[in-house]
Amino acid sequence: MEIKKKKISFLSTLTNYTLEVLLVVLFIALSFISDYFLTTTNILNMLRNIALQGIIAFGMTIVIVSGELDLSISSSVALSGVLIGLIGGNLSNAGIMPIKYAVLVGMAVALVISIAVGYVNGWLITRFKIPAMIVTLAMQNVLFGIAAVISKGFPIVTFPEWYSFIGSGRIFGQIPVPVIILIIMFIVTYFLLSYTKFGRAAFACGGNAEAARLSGINVKRTKIQAMILIQICCVISGIMLSSQVMSGTFSFAKGWEMNAIAAVIIGGASLAGGIGNMRGTLLGIVFIGILTNGMTLLNVNDYVQYIVRGGLIIFAVLLSTIKNKQKL
Amino acid sequence: MSVLETQKISKQYPGTLALDNVTASFESGKIHALIGKNGSGKSTLINIFSGAVCPSSGKILLNGEEIVFKSPAEAQARGIATVYQELSLVPGMSVAENIFIGQLPMKGISVDWKKTRKMAKELLSELGIDISPDETVANLSAWQCQMVEIAKAMRIQPKVLQLDEPTSSLAQSEVESLFRIIRKLKEKDVIILYITHKLQELWNIADTCTVIRDGRLIGVKNMDCLDRRELIKMMFGEVEIKTRPAELKYSEEVVLKVENLSDGRKFSNINFDLHKGEVLGIAGMLGVGRTELLSCIFGAQPAKSGSVFLNGKQIDNRTPEKMNKLGMAMTQEDRKRIGVNVNGRIYDNLCYASLDRLGKGSIVDRKMESSYVARQVKNLDIKLADTNFLVSSLSGGNQQKVVVGNWLNIEPKVILMDEPSRGIDVNAKQQIFQIIWDQAQKGISCLIVSTELEELLEICHRILIMRNGRIEKEVLPENVTVEDLYAICMGE
Repeated sequence: MEIKKKKISFLSTLTNYTLEVLLVVLFIALSFISDYFLTTTNILNMLRNIALQGIIAFGMTIVIVSGELDLSISSSVALSGVLIGLIGGNLSNAGIMPIKYAVLVGMAVALVISIAVGYVNGWLITRFKIPAMIVTLAMQNVLFGIAAVISKGFPIVTFPEWYSFIGSGRIFGQIPVPVIILIIMFIVTYFLLSYTKFGRAAFACGGNAEAARLSGINVKRTKIQAMILIQICCVISGIMLSSQVMSGTFSFAKGWEMNAIAAVIIGGASLAGGIGNMRGTLLGIVFIGILTNGMTLLNVNDYVQYIVRGGLIIFAVLLSTIKNKQKL
Repeated sequence: MSVLETQKISKQYPGTLALDNVTASFESGKIHALIGKNGSGKSTLINIFSGAVCPSSGKILLNGEEIVFKSPAEAQARGIATVYQELSLVPGMSVAENIFIGQLPMKGISVDWKKTRKMAKELLSELGIDISPDETVANLSAWQCQMVEIAKAMRIQPKVLQLDEPTSSLAQSEVESLFRIIRKLKEKDVIILYITHKLQELWNIADTCTVIRDGRLIGVKNMDCLDRRELIKMMFGEVEIKTRPAELKYSEEVVLKVENLSDGRKFSNINFDLHKGEVLGIAGMLGVGRTELLSCIFGAQPAKSGSVFLNGKQIDNRTPEKMNKLGMAMTQEDRKRIGVNVNGRIYDNLCYASLDRLGKGSIVDRKMESSYVARQVKNLDIKLADTNFLVSSLSGGNQQKVVVGNWLNIEPKVILMDEPSRGIDVNAKQQIFQIIWDQAQKGISCLIVSTELEELLEICHRILIMRNGRIEKEVLPENVTVEDLYAICMGE
């Protein structure tokens, strides 16, 4: 018994740091291969690039820990950009208020709608026990359609000048604003998951929903809250995305759900729920970011990058399955 | 005629001797009941025959020839078929397909469906089972599934057929239909081993009865010269009933009152009072609606009519969340599935029920949380290396303590316990009982459901006997023997 325990803890420490080891190896390797990799500009750019999807991955961590999944996020990101541009543009065209302020109204509306979308997702999943995968995949289509219809298929470009600061601005002349937002969101979601009753309840629901219910935990409310939370992350990401390109386009963010889920799983979460942590997810998105950055610097074909990322996800899931089996 | 024999079979598990020198023989043409209470070693014997468990020593002989097998597949090849409690049929496939699954007759590379149907039809009619081979299993009732399961076992023309609790999910009317088929099997020169918890069935179906207790063979009797009292004595021995502490008295104050409670399915018109500091037991056989009753009081499943009063206040629209807030706790019978998160940390599992109480507002008071964990680990004497380990790393008894500790952290007024001693060893049982008495001493009321009647006699102030969804009788443990209690539960 004593020996067995020691073995398990040794194995788990090893597997616990696999990601860190891989990250360091990748980092060192890329610094040698590419002269440009280890420059402040490149590192900050890379961080800026992962910020948008990283924020969603944080929300996804909480959703996956609670035992659910959200595939609707890509359309939510696109829809919020379209909504903000449209509302801002229409309000200023109608002379109600200058675009400077009208865009704020747009942001508020996008936020309210995202909360509603998250609520509907969560309600359908918990009330009717429809698998989250189906509900949110359908929602992805619905939101994509809505974004395309209200924008009539065109990019919306009615944004005030100051708006570009959110996505492209830099603080202290160096640090991109999205990176600051990424760090703030990390702290917020980390706190939510590790220090609040909601976070504890999310772990309980994902681990064994019926046991949680019978312990007096409100499983439905917890899951709905998680589904709303990730949608709020989508709006923040959508604001940054539309700000970077000063355009809200219905086809933005295609395929982001895959990257977000990949980061969470690489970070050690279990798709079955009940296991996961924010630190792991952060490492996961940094890992994907460095990998993508490295491949771009080395001029790897765009489509080959898809193959590498897809393969990586399968590998990560495989690793986490093996790891979780050892624990039992 | 064939004979299955065991010679001095023993099975040693770490810490326990599950079977101790069991020598027995079973001949064909008869139905042999295998009886023993939970943990008696009866399951180990079945598992040895089915090839799932290897004996530590001793021999198995089939018709005088020693047989050894290392896997259930080998046991089947030697002609020992087992029908387990959990059905193994595929609901979406036809009866014929289910029967021959794994060895469907082939024609080239495709399945010969015509032949499959014909073979299934022959087999079913030979067994006297009136089910169409083309019927989809999903459309069959529970007892029909059980028969298809038997047909499936019979396709290999086994010499030994083990039936493990075949009636556990059946209604009374269905049981007789199943028994007709089983009796018919006697003509087929098959050795039938029949395992059941429902003692009242035995006189109806079995020819002989083999009783195992604490891993030892107690005796083999013909059913027609065995009465219930004798059987119970064989099963439980001269039961020494330890009494609860004499100073443990309950007050007259009613804490929980249940009035005319019905769920419209499993139980109806339930009435009782639970007093402050009282340990009240509900006795009854499996499936009489005990679990449903507790779940309904606790709000885990809906009631159809009737009311529940807590401290004189009527509580409607009950949910576990609401009852938790009102100071009611419930530990589940099916611990691994719904009682605890086995893949979660022990630490977290001890604070699920008390989550809302861990500090004001929405932030967890971590200091309070760790003190909650520490006090349960200490008070309940939970044996663990580290509270960060998963619950699955604990023994059954310690897992049960985690379940109880989780609830004690809400400082409940009433605790409902569904089979609190299920799947835990004797020592852990005594500890759980002590915990119950300790709580009673503090004025907490306990309502305990158990199939282990001798345990109820040991721990309770008062026992309600439940039969067919109703409370039939109320007894005091000092006025009744285990045999009487069993007899009342079975309906005599």
